[in-house]
Amino acid sequence: MSVPRARMLELVKAQCQLFSTTFNPEGVRTGNKILRQRLKGPALAAYYPRKIITIRDFQKEFAPLDLMIDDEVEDDRLEHIAALKARGKGAPKKKNSAPDFKKK
Amino acid sequence: MSLFQRAKKFDLGCFANIKTIRDHTKRKAFEAAEPERQALRYIIRNTTLPARTRAIAQLQLTQMHCYTRPTQIKNRCILGGKGKGILRDFKMSRYNFRLQALEGNLPGVKKASW
Repeated sequence: MSVPRARMLELVKAQCQLFSTTFNPEGVRTGNKILRQRLKGPALAAYYPRKIITIRDFQKEFAPLDLMIDDEVEDDRLEHIAALKARGKGAPKKKNSAPDFKKK
Repeated sequence: MSLFQRAKKFDLGCFANIKTIRDHTKRKAFEAAEPERQALRYIIRNTTLPARTRAIAQLQLTQMHCYTRPTQIKNRCILGGKGKGILRDFKMSRYNFRLQALEGNLPGVKKASW
């Protein structure tokens, strides 16, 4: 015993109303699958770990309490520069005026 | 010259070279543009809309900056910035993964032996 198609469509329509789904008997492409997708931007943007705190932040935080914190990397850098300067190999001093390129 | 400027304040906490910084910028650009891209993709895929609207949406999507495309994003090693041989679960290249695993820095990872 076969059921007429119109009757079946009515049934499907009622079903869609009941469960609040989209009634689309022809299977027309409405692009709803794009709307159903979740946004993946936040997950992708969280790939690399972010910088949370630096030694300079620590120093600032503890400065009012008169606590000194050594920044070893910065100390090493300053020491290296001091050694260069002592040998006369340091960076030249900045000129007060902009360099004149036309002079040759 | 790229339209996208890098963040004013450096915000990477891992190994950084220009490639990782660029990739990070792309990730943030994609995150910002994702709703717009999805809206355009919806218009393009929706066959009930007029053809002209859909064609305009196609043009707009192709004319968005390349940094907003998800295919531009590449997983890179957080310890060395390498782009190939990355284990997704650990975000590390295979050699850095081996070094870290042998050192015991990765919980639950153990050298196989049977």
